[in-house]
Amino acid sequence: MAKKLVDILAEKGMSLNLQYGGTAPAEMTDREIKKEPFPRNKKLRDIYFQTLSSATTEFTYWYNRKFKELEGDVMAVRRAASLKHAFAHTTPAIYPGEKLIGGKAGYYRGSFPMPWLSEGFFMAKEDELYQAALASGSASADEVSTFGAGGGNVTKSFGHVVSISGKYGIRDTEVPVLVKLAREWVGKSVDDVGHKYEQMVPEYSIKENVMRSVICMFDSGYTLPQGREVINYYFPLQYGYDELIKMCEEGKAKVAGRPDGDGIAGMDRLYFYEAAKLVLEGVQAWYLNYAKEAKRLADTTEDKAQKAEFAEIAECMEWIAHKQPRTFREALQMLYLIHIGVLQEDAISGMSPGRVGQVLNPWFEQDIAAGRTTEEEVLELLESHRVKMTCIDCFASMGVVAGVLSSNTFNNLTLGGLTRDGQSAANRLETLIVEAGITCQTTNPTLSCFYDEKLPEEFLLKCIECEKTGTGYPAWMNFRGAVEFMLKQYGPEGMTLEDARAVAIGGCLETSPCVWKELTLNGKKYWVPGGAGQPTSVGVHFISNPKVLEMVLFNGFDHRTGLQVVPPHNKILETFEEVVAQFKEYYATIVDCLATTNNIQHDIWRKHNMAIYNSLLKPDCLARGHHIGNLGYRFNATFNIESCGQINQINAMAALKKVVYDDKKYSLEQMKDAIMNNFGFKKASDIGSFSLAAQEKRDDDTGKYDEIHSDCLKAPKYGNDDVYADSILKDYEEWFCNMCHNYQSLYAKPMYSCQISVSTHGAQGASTLATSDGRLAGTTFADGSMSAYPGTDRNGAYALFESACCWDHSQSQNSQMNLKIHPSAVHGIEGSKKLLELTRAYMRRGGYHIQFNIVDSKMLKDAQEHQENYRELLVRVAGFTQYWVEIGKPIQDEIVARTEYEGV
Amino acid sequence: MKKENLNHMDCRNFIAIDVAKGMCHANGDKIILIDGPVCPKFVEMPKCKFCSQFTNVDEMGIGCCEGFKVKDWTYADLKAGECENFSK
Repeated sequence: MAKKLVDILAEKGMSLNLQYGGTAPAEMTDREIKKEPFPRNKKLRDIYFQTLSSATTEFTYWYNRKFKELEGDVMAVRRAASLKHAFAHTTPAIYPGEKLIGGKAGYYRGSFPMPWLSEGFFMAKEDELYQAALASGSASADEVSTFGAGGGNVTKSFGHVVSISGKYGIRDTEVPVLVKLAREWVGKSVDDVGHKYEQMVPEYSIKENVMRSVICMFDSGYTLPQGREVINYYFPLQYGYDELIKMCEEGKAKVAGRPDGDGIAGMDRLYFYEAAKLVLEGVQAWYLNYAKEAKRLADTTEDKAQKAEFAEIAECMEWIAHKQPRTFREALQMLYLIHIGVLQEDAISGMSPGRVGQVLNPWFEQDIAAGRTTEEEVLELLESHRVKMTCIDCFASMGVVAGVLSSNTFNNLTLGGLTRDGQSAANRLETLIVEAGITCQTTNPTLSCFYDEKLPEEFLLKCIECEKTGTGYPAWMNFRGAVEFMLKQYGPEGMTLEDARAVAIGGCLETSPCVWKELTLNGKKYWVPGGAGQPTSVGVHFISNPKVLEMVLFNGFDHRTGLQVVPPHNKILETFEEVVAQFKEYYATIVDCLATTNNIQHDIWRKHNMAIYNSLLKPDCLARGHHIGNLGYRFNATFNIESCGQINQINAMAALKKVVYDDKKYSLEQMKDAIMNNFGFKKASDIGSFSLAAQEKRDDDTGKYDEIHSDCLKAPKYGNDDVYADSILKDYEEWFCNMCHNYQSLYAKPMYSCQISVSTHGAQGASTLATSDGRLAGTTFADGSMSAYPGTDRNGAYALFESACCWDHSQSQNSQMNLKIHPSAVHGIEGSKKLLELTRAYMRRGGYHIQFNIVDSKMLKDAQEHQENYRELLVRVAGFTQYWVEIGKPIQDEIVARTEYEGV
Repeated sequence: MKKENLNHMDCRNFIAIDVAKGMCHANGDKIILIDGPVCPKFVEMPKCKFCSQFTNVDEMGIGCCEGFKVKDWTYADLKAGECENFSK
């Protein structure tokens, strides 16, 4: 039997130290905090657990039909009219028991393709889809009950259901429709048109190689062109749709035929106002269709209570289709449907609700004061909101959905922070939002708490209680750090300190620009925050830092694909400084080709697929008469450069410095030989496990690489307050955060650094050779950007914090730290206080983000073996919470392998 | 259309949960599979395949919609409850 690395190390008296601060109890320990949702929401959540991710072509069809009909019209108007047509014709679905209603498609967890963005996938799979559709119908209905593994993912076709990408199910009768729709967009989609023009950049061939070698994981402009941003609910909540339509009409009259000094885009304002009006009318029709459906259901329902609820829904929908909401319930319903409406117009992940507790506070405060509602009723509604938000699916390609999103959509709700005038912004409604996160544990909205010293202890401990459910939310972000970053990045666009305090988290932890708007309800005025910036996590996606280092060592050649990815440097690399310099040079080359090509994709997007609904919601589009593509948003410097695997890169550099250049124990050639031969181990994909400890020796291994591997593993590692490794990190961060400013987005704004891995550390690890830190080929990288590589943080959490805070986090949009803690380490009120102190310690040192997995690793291992028993198990991945059963094996392995803290 | 060729997605009382199952509103919101036989309480769901303006249908269920000013293709299973030009 092949030897595993963990056993080899044990024989040598070494360990991967996967526990710190004691030994976990022998018995599997469950999470401490457990509560149940209201029966109504338990039932609705149970339905979710049994629901398959389902796609339909209904919205797609109606959009496409109108778009063709309007050939030759102005693009913004053509697109808006198509959206209106689709909104107005989509069949509403209302489920018994729901108080909050509505969804993306006519399924509980529905979504639909957008071939106008990208149709290539369907065309490439045309035959396969047809074959699956033709073979359908042969299986018995009993097969339907065999789902479970994979959660709601339709991993294979069955009955009359065809699997797309192993994720979505579609009825077999819709497959020919899907393909026909896709065919009509060949050569016209954002993907195709963008591709035509991106090939014109001189450095295109390098970009192509960079993508094939998975140094970068995704294009940006046609995959998920919007999202990772904070939505703004203000205008509909303040004015209602009738008034907004009137404002659009007034806008048209004011600007029609008048450039008003802007000879480039001044005339476009007429078209934007017309487009905005059309979309608003479509949204109104969509709401009213729900009202009509609720009435129909009320008429056909015998159960009196349910009948009354349908009638209430109808009344609510009829009102909010036209006017400002009157009650908390109406406001929440409207807020939720605004969110869904925006998701209808583009492929979007990470469209985040932002500071909902502060946005809805006016209705909550007044309803409670007037006795129109109770906290219990509000809690029930907030739980319903969680279930509805968890049902959001995003129809995108397999690579994006599995490789980045892990089937999640990252709708992040922000808590805490400060008000416009610098006081704690936490309120009673936010406490109830946290409580709903405890009682009704779901993936969305995930919660983030903006930590500030001014937040009340009681509120912070409530967040800690929620943390101890093991869901991984709320994540903790540093409010002061966020404000500093905001002012640096958006100051040139006029951001003030007051604006900066409106900041919220978009997506996983993309710090996003927002503003305050004055909301009036029954004569009382409130300042409410909301998004005012373009999408983030657009531009240059996920660069695999260890892979760039691999390019340095192997002269720009990728052994996995046989491609000369970047021009050979032909240097001997005699010093460590030369290695670092070449790393930076290659990195700059890679960023440059990705920035230029993705700028072209996004430019096509803004010309052909610009947001209309999302635009009109955000300041200052309605005031300026410009959509996002014409810089209608207040803040536009949001494009970024994302890194992945940087801790492995830092550790690998530290090991190279130590064993090759400082100690000179091995030559660089010996190191490269060991890396090429994976230190004598099998490929991770061959053994089906992606964590380091589980890797096995090759059967023909002679032990030739044992010593060098052992030395690499023993070399200094990040996360131990060791200046040897930390100084390399500091140098890298100072360079990386600044080099990003050298690149401009298509909007001629400087980019910035984004340091989160989401799920890319699995896929990018899989395509990277072994690294000189001792990590083996194909295994998953360390998650996030500040998390230690599993098992290498040997001096405790405070040493890890010292390492992480050796650089200024406010130079970057974010940084990301995950910590796994055994439930027994934070048990009881004393444990809660310890966990809060740990969090506070990191924030006070200047750490930007920390999140916790409070879980027994034994439970995760058991869940890998017995998925059927763990449909409800939630874990924190890297910036988001996900059901264990919907996460791919490489990421599962990485979470299992993370160092487990037995004491804090 | 013969009843044996119909499934629950063709019924107005059916609320689809996903591509395999849904709730039958006429039978106490019970969860049932889409592809089971329809019951006596079946109420036809407006769909293109039940519309008089749906013509020239091919073997894949794709035909022509003549209900709008600009004619275009459509498909048999498209729900038409919100279509202003649906007619029996």
